[in-house]
Amino acid sequence: MKSSFSFILDGTVVTIDAESGLPPTTTVLEYLRASAAHKGVKEGCAEGDCGACTVVLGSADASGRISYAAVDSCLVFLPMLHGKELVTVENIAPDTGLHPVQEAMVATGGSQCGFCTPGFIMSLFALSKNHDHPSREVIDDALTGNLCRCTGYQPIIAAAAASCVHGGRDHFSAGEERVAAMLRSIPQGSICLRTEHQVYHRPASLGEALSLLHQHQDAIVIGGASDIGLRVTKRHELLASIIDISGIGELKACADQGTFAEFGAGASLSAVEESARAAFPALAAMLSVFGSRQIRNVATLGGNLGTASPIGDMLPVLFAYDAVILLEGMNRRREIPVREFIVGYRKTLRRPDELITGVRIAKPGPDAAVRSYKVSKRKDLDISTVSGAFRLERDAAGRVSSIVLAYGGMAERTKRAAAAEEFLLGKPWDRSSVEGAMALMSKDFTPISDARAGAEMRSVAARNLLLKFWNDTQR
Amino acid sequence: MTGAAGHTTNVVPHESAAKHVTGEAVYVDDILVSGELLVGRVVTSPHAHAKILSFDLGAARAVPGVHAVLSSRDIPGVNDMGPVVHDEVCLAADRVFCVGQAVFLIAAESAEQCRAAERLIHVVYEPLAPILTLADAIAQGTLLGPPASIVRGDAASAIRKAPHRFSGELETGAQEHWYLESQVALCVPGEGKELQVYSSSQHPSETQALVASVLGIGKHDVVVEVRRMGGAFGGKETQANHTACWTALLARASGRPVKIRLFRDDDMIMTGKRHRFLSRYEAGFDDRGMLLGLSAELHCDGGCATDLTFAILQRAMLHIDNTYFIPDITVVGKAYRTNLPSNTAFRGFGGPQGMAVVEQVIDRVARTLGLDAAEVRRRNFYGTDSRNVTHYGQTVERNHLPLLFDRLTASSGYAKRRADAGIFNASHEFVKRGIALTPVKFGISFTTSFLNQAGALVLIYKDGTILVNHGGTEMGQGLHTKMQQIAAREFGVSLDRVKVNATNTAKVPNTSATAASAGSDLNGMAVKNAADILKARIAEAIAPVLTGGNTSDPTRPEDILFEKNSIVDGRHAGRSISFADAMPVMQRLQVSLSASGFYKTPGIGWDSVKGTGKPFFYFAFGMAVTEAELDLLTGRHTILRADILYDVGESLNPQIDLGQIEGGFVQGLGWCTTEEIKWDDKGNLLTHSPDTYKIPSVQDIPREFYTALLDNVPNPGTIHSSKAVAEPPFMLALSAWLAIKDALSAASNHTKEPEFSLPATNEVILLSLEKLKAR
Ligand SMILES: Cc1cc2nc3c(=O)[nH]c(=O)nc-3n(C[C@H](O)[C@H](O)[C@H](O)COP(=O)(O)OP(=O)(O)OC[C@H]3O[C@@H](n4cnc5c(N)ncnc54)[C@H](O)[C@@H]3O)c2cc1C
Ligand code: FES
Ligand code: FES
Repeated sequence: MKSSFSFILDGTVVTIDAESGLPPTTTVLEYLRASAAHKGVKEGCAEGDCGACTVVLGSADASGRISYAAVDSCLVFLPMLHGKELVTVENIAPDTGLHPVQEAMVATGGSQCGFCTPGFIMSLFALSKNHDHPSREVIDDALTGNLCRCTGYQPIIAAAAASCVHGGRDHFSAGEERVAAMLRSIPQGSICLRTEHQVYHRPASLGEALSLLHQHQDAIVIGGASDIGLRVTKRHELLASIIDISGIGELKACADQGTFAEFGAGASLSAVEESARAAFPALAAMLSVFGSRQIRNVATLGGNLGTASPIGDMLPVLFAYDAVILLEGMNRRREIPVREFIVGYRKTLRRPDELITGVRIAKPGPDAAVRSYKVSKRKDLDISTVSGAFRLERDAAGRVSSIVLAYGGMAERTKRAAAAEEFLLGKPWDRSSVEGAMALMSKDFTPISDARAGAEMRSVAARNLLLKFWNDTQR
Repeated sequence: MTGAAGHTTNVVPHESAAKHVTGEAVYVDDILVSGELLVGRVVTSPHAHAKILSFDLGAARAVPGVHAVLSSRDIPGVNDMGPVVHDEVCLAADRVFCVGQAVFLIAAESAEQCRAAERLIHVVYEPLAPILTLADAIAQGTLLGPPASIVRGDAASAIRKAPHRFSGELETGAQEHWYLESQVALCVPGEGKELQVYSSSQHPSETQALVASVLGIGKHDVVVEVRRMGGAFGGKETQANHTACWTALLARASGRPVKIRLFRDDDMIMTGKRHRFLSRYEAGFDDRGMLLGLSAELHCDGGCATDLTFAILQRAMLHIDNTYFIPDITVVGKAYRTNLPSNTAFRGFGGPQGMAVVEQVIDRVARTLGLDAAEVRRRNFYGTDSRNVTHYGQTVERNHLPLLFDRLTASSGYAKRRADAGIFNASHEFVKRGIALTPVKFGISFTTSFLNQAGALVLIYKDGTILVNHGGTEMGQGLHTKMQQIAAREFGVSLDRVKVNATNTAKVPNTSATAASAGSDLNGMAVKNAADILKARIAEAIAPVLTGGNTSDPTRPEDILFEKNSIVDGRHAGRSISFADAMPVMQRLQVSLSASGFYKTPGIGWDSVKGTGKPFFYFAFGMAVTEAELDLLTGRHTILRADILYDVGESLNPQIDLGQIEGGFVQGLGWCTTEEIKWDDKGNLLTHSPDTYKIPSVQDIPREFYTALLDNVPNPGTIHSSKAVAEPPFMLALSAWLAIKDALSAASNHTKEPEFSLPATNEVILLSLEKLKAR
C-alpha cells in the first residue's frame, strides 16, 4: 500500500507523500491558493455554492481519451485527485494568446469585478470540451454552479455560445496522449496516508474497502465528499479516520439490465442523470435541479443515500420507483427496499460495516405514471423546501389501483402521505378525489419552519404538488 | 438583441479583462507577502444585546503561535468607526449591540491557532432584551434621530377630496450584498509608525482616516491602496473600514504583516445590509388614475448604529415620486435603532425602497380603476414644460420619459403582449402570466453636496507613457477603463499608452467614496482637468519647437492639437512631433509633466432640513417592460422576457454601460424575488450562507433579455456628455416584481388586490394565493 498519491498539475506529475505532513483533508482549493502560481482560483463560499473555486479534472478513459469535468475545488480533498489531471485557470491559455473561452469572455464583456471569472472560465472550458454548439439549456446547466453578482450572466452566456464551437478541439487536444501516458504511469493501487492526527485510506477495490470498514467501523466513508467536505471547510472538524471510496471502479457502473437497471453507489450523479434519462425520467428530472454540474460531477448516489437526509432529493424519487438498496459487508450482501431502508431522522438499516454498493430499480410498466417535483426558493442549486415524487397506477376502470406519494422536507425523514394514499386507493383519479386527498395531508404531516420556509408554506406546497401531479397526468 | 446603436465608437474591453480571464488579476488576498504574515481573526458577540461583565484573554494569549489578542482596551487611538455619527465602536467595550459585533481580535501564525485561541477566550455576558423587528422598534420608538419630512401642498386634504383613495402598507426586505470577494484587508507595518494598508474598500480616504484614528497616528503615516475589489455594491463603502482597522490594530500590536479575510458566513453575519423598510401610505386619485395626493411614512431599520442611514433614508424620500408628478405630497422618514448589524449603503441607496412604494401605489390605482398600469404611469409622468417640479423643488430638466415610453412600448410590443397574456390566462388555471412596465428617474450627486468633488494626479513619463491616478476605486464597474479612455482621448494617444494606477491615498488625498453612481462623472472631470493643465504646459513649450525656423508664421500654443499619438499644429499639418518623442524634449525644457486635477460639481445645493433645493446635478432615466410566468401551485416564477431602454447620455463605453444595466437589473431581480433574509428571535442570522441565501443564478435571468441605450441624448455639462449608470438600473427590476404581482392578480381575474411584499418569494406568493382563495 502506497503512502503517497499523485496527480498532474502544470504539466508534471506531482506526488504528495504522507510524510509531508499535509493533512489529507486539505482541500484542493487550499492547496492551490497556498501556492504563488495558483492564486487565480478563488474562494467565495467554501461550500460548493458559488463556483469561484471551479477547476477541471481530467481523467483518462479506457481508450486513452481524456474526459474533463468541472468541480468545486473547495469540496475536493487533495488525495481524491489521485490519478487525475488538475487543470486550473492558469493552465488553459496557450503559450501565446488566450484560450477561445477566455477570448470570448473578453470580447463579450463577461467579467466586471472579475472575482467570479476564473471559476466561470473553468466551467466554460469543461463545457467547450464536452459540447459542441451547446443549446441555451446546456449552457445554463453548465453555468448554474457559478454565481456572478456583477454581470447578470448575459455576456457569459454569449461567450459560451461563441466559443464552444470547435468540437472540443484546442491546444489541449494535441497533448492528450502525453497526458494519458503520464496518468497511466501513476500506479492505481490502494493508498494509506497517515499523519499525526489522521488516517486516510483510499482503497482501490470493493473487497479492500469492506475489509477496511470491518476493521475501522468508526471511519468516515466518503464517496464524493460533497456533504462530508462541509464538516471540514465550515465546521473545521478534524476527521480522524477516513475511507475514501472514490477510487473504486466497481462501484461506478450504471447498467441497464432490460427490465431493471442498476446504478452503482459510487457513480457520480452526472453519470446517473445520463443513464436514467430514457427509462427513469422522473429520476433524471430531479437530478437536473440537483445542486449544480460541479456538485453532480463529484457527488454520488451512495453519498446521497448515506446522508439519509430528510431533504435529500434522491430518496423521494427512489420511493416512487420502489427502488432496492444494495448493501455489502464482509462476505455478506443484503437488499433492502428503499421504503424500509430509512427508519428515522438520518437513520437507516445500514450496519456500520456495510457499504451501500448500488441501487436497483425495476422499470415501471407503461401504465404507471411517475413524476418528481422540487419546490425551492431558487429554482436551481438550492436545497428542497419540499419535494414530492409520485407514482400512480390505474385499473381498467380508471380507478387508482396503486399510489405512492413520497415527500421530502415534510417530516424528519422521507415520508409517504399515508392517509392521502389510502383515501385515493380505489377512487377514480379525478379532481375531486385529489382534492379530497389534499385535505387529508394535514393528518400526514406537521412540517417545521426554518430558514428556507415556514410550516404553512410547506403544507400548502405539499398539497399543491399532488394537484400538480394530477394536472400533469391529464395531458 | 442587445443594442447600443449610435454608441459604438467607445467599445473597448474592461482594462483588466485579460487578467480576469487568466486569473492574473490580483485581489487583496492574492498579494504575495513574506512568511512573516499572520492570520487575523475577529471574535464576535453571540448576543444581540448584552453587557460585557468580564473577560479573560490570558489563556488565549498563551496559545503557541498566537502573537496578539486584543480587546477594546488595547486600542491606542479612538475606539470609534462611525462615518457620520460617532456611535459605532471598533471593538465592543462594555456592551454589545448585535450578534456578530466585533469584541476581540486575534493574530496568529495559522487560522487553526486563531481558532484554538478563540476557544480559550472567556467572556461573561449579561444578556439584555434586544429589539429585532421593525414593528418592535416602531412600538418602542427607538428612533436613531429626529424624523425628517418633505412636504409640498396639503396632501391630507388633497387625498380627502380625491374621487378615489386607499391606504396600505408595504414591506421591502433587507438584502445582502454578496460581493464575491468577502471583506479583506492586509496591513504591512513600515518604519516608525508607517502602515501600508491594502484594502478592498470603496472609500480609501475614509479607511485611511479611521485606521489613523484607531491607531492614534497621523494620516500621513497611513497609505491605503486599492487595486480592485471583487465586487462591492455599497457594501464596502463604510463596512470595509472595519476589517481594515481590525487588521491595522493587529499589525501594530504584533509588528508583523497581518491579513484578515472574513469567511463568507462571518461576512454575512457581521456586516450590514440593505435597509429593510416598512412603509405606510395613503393616496388619492381621480377617475383617470391621476395621483392627486400622496402621504407616506417610511420606517427604516438602521440596525445598531447610524452608519449612512440618514442619507439613505433621505434618498428614499427624494425618490418616492420616482417619475411621477404628485401635486400634494407629504413624506415622512423615520430611522430606528435595532439590535442587528448596522445597515449600510447598497446600490440604489434608499432609492429602491422609496420607488417601490409609489410603484405599488400606481399598480393599485390601475387595478382599482381597471386601467392599464403602464398607461396610468404615462399619465402621471413629469411633464416637459409644466408639472415638472419635484416635491423638493428641483425642476426635471431634459425629461426623456415620453421618449423612453414611446420607444420601449413599441420595441417590446407591450400592448399586444399584454393582450396575449390575458388570452393565455383565460385558458390556464394553474399558470398565469403578468406584464409590467416601470420607469426610473434617479438623481445623480451625493445629497451631502460637498462630497461632490474629486481629484486626480496624472503623470507623463519620458517615454510618453501616461500614468493616471484618481480618487475613484475599481469594483468591477469599469471606472478605470473609462478613466483610461478619457485620458487617452484627451491626450490623443492610443489606450496602451495610458495606465490607471491602483487607487492610493498617497497620490490623491481626501477623496469621496466611489459611490452615488458618480464615480466617472466626478473623477472623469478631475482627470480631464489634470490633462488640460498638462496639455497647456506642453503646448506652451512645444510651440517654439514646432515653429523651428518658421519664425515668420510661428506655431501658437492655442493651435496645438493632441491627436493620433502626436502633437501637431492644427494650422500646419507638417509641423508635428510624436507624443513619445516630445516628452524628452519637455524634460530638457524643464516642463513639469505631472499635474493634479480637481473637480467639484457646479450649481447644486439644497436645504436638507427644509427638504428643498437642487440636490442633483441631473437625473438618469430608464424604463423596463418585464413579463413573468407564475406557477400557482408551486409559487415559482419565470421571467420570460425583459426589455430595457436606458439613457446614459453619450456612452463612455457602451459595453460597460450595458453590462452595468443588465447586472443592476439582475441584482434588483434578486432583491425583488429570492433574496430573503431571516433572523431568529435571538437576533441570529438564519440565512448566513449561500446555502440558504439565494442570489440569482444564470437560470433566473429573463429567458429573453433585451437591453438598449437611448441614442442621441448628449448630457450637457458632464464628462464627454455622458451620464451615470451603476445604481439606477437596479430599480428597473421593480417591473419584474410587478409582473409577478400582475400574474398573481390574474388568479382572481384582477378583481382582488393580492397581498404582496418584497421579496416576492414562492412562499409570499403561495400564501397570498391561499388568502385570495379564502376571500
Ligand atoms: C452546493 C451543494 C448543493 C447540494 N445540492 C443538493 C441537492 O440539490 N439535493 C440533495 O439531495 N443534496 C444536495 N447536496 C448534498 C450532497 O451533495 C448530496 O447529498 C450528495 O449526493 C452526497 O454525495 P457524496 O458522494 O458527495 O457524499 P459524501 O459527502 O461523500 O458522503 C455523504 C454521506 O454518505 C456516506 N456515504 C457515502 N458513500 C457511501 C456508501 N457507498 N455507502 C455508505 N455510506 C456512504 C458518508 O459516510 C456520509 O455520511 C448539495 C451539497 C452541496 C455542497
Ligand atoms: S468557494 Fe464557493 S463553490 Fe467553492
Ligand atoms: S464579475 Fe463580479 S461577480 Fe462576476
